Amino acid sequence: MLTFILRRIVQTLVVIVILSYVCFGLMTLMPGDPVELMISANPRISAEDVTRLREFYGLDQPLIKRYYTWISDISKGELGYSRTYRIPVTEMMGPALTATFILSITSLLFSLIIAIPLGIVCALKPNSKVDYIANLFSFAGISVPSFWLGIVLIIIFAVNLRWLPAGGYQTTGLAYENIFQELMDKAKYLILPMVSLSVQSIGRFSRFTRSAMLEAMRNDYIRTARAKGLSNRVVIFQHGFRNALIPLITIIAISFSSIFSGALITETLFAYPGVGRLIYSSIIGNDFNVAMVAFVVSVSAVLIMSLVSDILYGVVDPRISYK
Amino acid sequence: MKNLSLVLATVLVLVGCTKKDNAGSTPGTPSAGATSNAGGKLTNNELKIGITQEFENFNPVIQTMSATSYMQHMVNRPLVTINADGKWIPLLAKKIPTIENGAAKIVDKGGKKKLVAIWEILENANWGDGKPVICEDIIFSLKVASSPNVSVGEKETYTQIEKIEADPKNPKKCTFTYEKAKWDFYQLGTVWLLPSHLEEAVFKKFGALKEGYEKNSLYSKDPTNPGLYNGPYVLTELQLGDHVSFAPNTKFYGEAPKFKRIIVKLIPNSGTLEANLRSGTIDMISSLGLALDQALAFDKKVKGENLGYSVLFEPSATYEHIDLNLDNPILKDIRVRKALNYSINREELVNSLFEGKQNPAIHAVTPKDPWFTDDPTKVVIYKYSPREAERLLEEAGWKMGADGIRTKGEKRLSFTLMTTAGNKTRELVQVYLQNKWKQVGIEVVSRNEPARVFFGETTKKRKFDSMALFAWISSPENNPKSTFTTNNIPTAKNGWSGQNSMGWSNPKVDELLYSMDTVFEHAKRVEIIHKVLKYYTEDVPVLPLYYRSDIAVIPTQLKNFRLTGHQFPETNEVEKWTVE
Amino acid sequence: MNTAQNTTQKAQQKAQIAKMEKAQTITQIVYSQFKEHKAAVIGAYVILIFVVVALSAPLIEKFTGLDAESQNVFNRYRPPMTRVKAGTDVRETSIQRFIDANPEEVLIIQNQLISQQLVKPIRPEDALYDWAQLDRTKAMDAIDLIDTSKKSELRAIANRFESFHILGTDELGRDVMMRLIYGTRVSMGVGILVALASALIGLLVGAVAGFYGGFIDTLLMRVTDALLSLPLMPVLIVVAADDLQKIPFISRILTSGNESILKLVLILCLFSWMSVARLVRGSILSLREREFILASKTLGATDYTLITRHMFPNVIAPMLVSVTLGVGESILFEAALSFLGLGIQPPTPSWGNMLFNAQELIYQAPFLAILPGLLILFVTISFNYLGDGLQDAIDPKAMRR
Repeated sequence: MLTFILRRIVQTLVVIVILSYVCFGLMTLMPGDPVELMISANPRISAEDVTRLREFYGLDQPLIKRYYTWISDISKGELGYSRTYRIPVTEMMGPALTATFILSITSLLFSLIIAIPLGIVCALKPNSKVDYIANLFSFAGISVPSFWLGIVLIIIFAVNLRWLPAGGYQTTGLAYENIFQELMDKAKYLILPMVSLSVQSIGRFSRFTRSAMLEAMRNDYIRTARAKGLSNRVVIFQHGFRNALIPLITIIAISFSSIFSGALITETLFAYPGVGRLIYSSIIGNDFNVAMVAFVVSVSAVLIMSLVSDILYGVVDPRISYK
Repeated sequence: MKNLSLVLATVLVLVGCTKKDNAGSTPGTPSAGATSNAGGKLTNNELKIGITQEFENFNPVIQTMSATSYMQHMVNRPLVTINADGKWIPLLAKKIPTIENGAAKIVDKGGKKKLVAIWEILENANWGDGKPVICEDIIFSLKVASSPNVSVGEKETYTQIEKIEADPKNPKKCTFTYEKAKWDFYQLGTVWLLPSHLEEAVFKKFGALKEGYEKNSLYSKDPTNPGLYNGPYVLTELQLGDHVSFAPNTKFYGEAPKFKRIIVKLIPNSGTLEANLRSGTIDMISSLGLALDQALAFDKKVKGENLGYSVLFEPSATYEHIDLNLDNPILKDIRVRKALNYSINREELVNSLFEGKQNPAIHAVTPKDPWFTDDPTKVVIYKYSPREAERLLEEAGWKMGADGIRTKGEKRLSFTLMTTAGNKTRELVQVYLQNKWKQVGIEVVSRNEPARVFFGETTKKRKFDSMALFAWISSPENNPKSTFTTNNIPTAKNGWSGQNSMGWSNPKVDELLYSMDTVFEHAKRVEIIHKVLKYYTEDVPVLPLYYRSDIAVIPTQLKNFRLTGHQFPETNEVEKWTVE
Repeated sequence: MNTAQNTTQKAQQKAQIAKMEKAQTITQIVYSQFKEHKAAVIGAYVILIFVVVALSAPLIEKFTGLDAESQNVFNRYRPPMTRVKAGTDVRETSIQRFIDANPEEVLIIQNQLISQQLVKPIRPEDALYDWAQLDRTKAMDAIDLIDTSKKSELRAIANRFESFHILGTDELGRDVMMRLIYGTRVSMGVGILVALASALIGLLVGAVAGFYGGFIDTLLMRVTDALLSLPLMPVLIVVAADDLQKIPFISRILTSGNESILKLVLILCLFSWMSVARLVRGSILSLREREFILASKTLGATDYTLITRHMFPNVIAPMLVSVTLGVGESILFEAALSFLGLGIQPPTPSWGNMLFNAQELIYQAPFLAILPGLLILFVTISFNYLGDGLQDAIDPKAMRR
């Protein structure tokens, strides 16, 4: 077990390094380096300014050398300096990651709370009316373009009903008297983006739970358990749901990984200062350091999460063992 | 089918709700702008401004983003600026030195003509911590800006000032020596100052390291330190990517600001600006906000439903045009260029697409500029005439083909029009023009690229094969050397610097523009620029389209708010804004 | 005789049973199973309708006389069911074309128009131009009164003086319905193309990895994992902003007209084949150990035959499902990229860019945003239901006998 985990960690690290190089290469394939962007913003930059700035940023070096400089800085714990915001990357990433983390975690929990019971109910009564309606909503959730949904939510709840704010993550300039007030205020801003982010995952999770549960309930041991005279509850949760959990864990682990890559469209629509938007503006503004750190963070998150889910399988299903 | 109709019904109900609510709220809404105020009526306590663009750290020497510059004018003031009337006025300086008032004179130093000017800083100009603004601050800013370890985009502004000396008796009196005797020397007074009493220590300690100063500058370590600002407001909270809060600077030299707090909030999606405004998240939309189409629609609604806002349109110094690539073999023929120009119906364009809120353009100098002219004896004016266009094309040998596109031998009269993707107004204009040109038998295909590609590569390196649609934001009385002269045609040799992406080369224009630098009489300069514009409109290296307008939405109670229409934003007068 | 009858009866029965057994081929079972899934059937019909409409776009164009390109800038943002007048320009151009084509006939028409006092031009040459400024009905009446051999052509011109827009007009006064129809072509085309292409890539990679195993398998699967772990949206943005012209092979396929569409298809394909590859690899791994493969191997079948003849048929079914689901996903992705301004470039309409263009004006012209949004919703739901139905139909465990 331990050797398995160690081997996987080493593999993961190698993949992260290779991927970071790929991302680095992709970023350089984009036309217009930072200096060119500066020139376009300012007609008075001269040819000397251009060469000076190129040298300043090390852009006159070949790709592999620049990558080497970057990765050796990273390994020293030096994440660099954001060229767009002109502050250290760590100071930029910290708050953005926290904001995104809060949004994604609440949205994930919210969708699981709704989707899992919904999926179980559907699986227990397949082809019933409840199943049909739940299915329709799940499919609609998966199929709705997220920014369209976001706009509709804003119009209804922020502009017309005025129940919730249209964007932001807290009432700006409000001095909180106590933590309870702060929580309430921030929660108010969280609801709309969370809902708009959750709609799709609710659809996905409930479909997934439904099919995993259907599969599990078809097994012989369910029949045995029922024959033994166990209560319906015990059969469903102890025998059925436990077995449906394995595939569910995979999909939850995968969606966990998006916790750090953020939800660009939702964040943009709701003016939520998360990491998705940060990545986007850093890519568009050719802010290498920020974009690369963000890439590495989100790639690592996925790889680590899939490692965790592999280990979790062993916990949930004793039949699986690692050599 | 039942399931599907259920969805449809649900959606329609939702939509229905939206509409009904809209209609329902109108009669009940009192006219006094109650709409803006989910959190109460607008008072002098707080003003929340929405912007759509990202901003950065506030170090004024290093900043490059327009949103930062917008806010910089709230917290800092340069020596001089252009006011909303388009006039140069002193801010931190007591007066603008000129040859006439004796504060500036041309001297001969070692055979070279140089200019020496005396700038005096206002007696009561202070930094937010009470320390006076002195000449040493200007000297220090220059030192920082010219350091090789600080990433300043453009150094020309700074390098043109050869030397600054502080008067040993009066620390507020400085003598500038300019490298060359140019008439526009005073425009260099728009540089920002850094507080030397706070930043000098940082620069001494870290200035030798690459990017050392900018990483450790108080503007990034302690941005709410009031000593960093000399404007009407100081920064009280800075959340990059979200919002900035400001409070009045008690040490400000000028009129005391009225609003007790100003918050500038980033709303990255302009589609939701209106929703944010109407739900009270923001009170007004800055000039970095609505697209024209949105503003036009919102304007109608504001008037129709009495929403308590005013939508302001201010003609600006932004010139939208199409650069023609003069290396294109078809475009080398001036008749084709003229035909392209004649088949644009600018009047219809501005009246239909912009509802008259933006003005048709005739050349590169905007009506905001004292240099502007629309005198037909001085410049060529192309009135819409498809027949004239067709005549010119026939003359040039382009015959109408069976599919409605002209041909000459094997060649089709076809061009590619490129512009920035996602800019709705430009895309609209692009499609409109395509249609117009099609009617005289010119095929134009569009190819759009994200702004960074378009400006970073395509126009920069002249990679567009025939036409590129974009804008120049010029300031009044700005010598157009960098866009008109032969030296400024970007080539690999000059490191792709220069903005003459047309590849326009007219020796007479070169000569005129270079000679203008040393002309100190306004009337003579106007004469020169009018000659240049004559060549510009005769040669047609560029198709002028329209002059853009700046747009803002403000609550009707907000008084003394004026859009400027040039690169020195309305925040230059932020201390006057008030609610009555 | 009895025995004879018996034997014939038995033979008949046998034949019947045989026929019945034969009749129930796997496709038929799947088909009948599929039919049970009502929503999937509806989905299939919806898709079919959309495909038919998309394919017959030029016919609709001809029939209604409307097209997706012509503008009418003084009639922007008209609500559904409005009749609008064509712009002066459009009228004048069509008249000019007519004059150029029939210089002699024009003189006769001009004279008649003037002599019957139908128009009162300042100069006689302007008579037809003045006629072009009339209302459609008046212009039609005028044609009835004059005598010319070109009546039908003039009628056709007059017909274009006015247009009726069932779904209103957009920001340039173009017909929304026609744009939606052409958008259907682009959006569904992209969706289907991407789904098919990525299924093919996935099939190839998965089959090779699963069949050969060992190092090739490890390598291919690590590549798959790596691509799966990349955060999709940022990578799509980077690639969409990349200049594909820099890559020599691709620059040859790209032409200015189709660049944005092809680029989008390429990008989406590049990042959507991985799940199919995993799926195929999984099934081939398990197939490899089965007896019938061993049997054909001993009989001397080549790798190629083994893979294409024996393994592919067994993975077709699950692939079909993932293709259908992939179509919906690609349509949504196109819309999302459009939201960032990196989708299909105007004036080519796609649902995604129509929706994006409309979102800023959702209050002023709600229909412009609602319609493409609904179409995306409908079609994606339909594809999802179709995929679901197929899955149920081919799943041996779910078979209801």
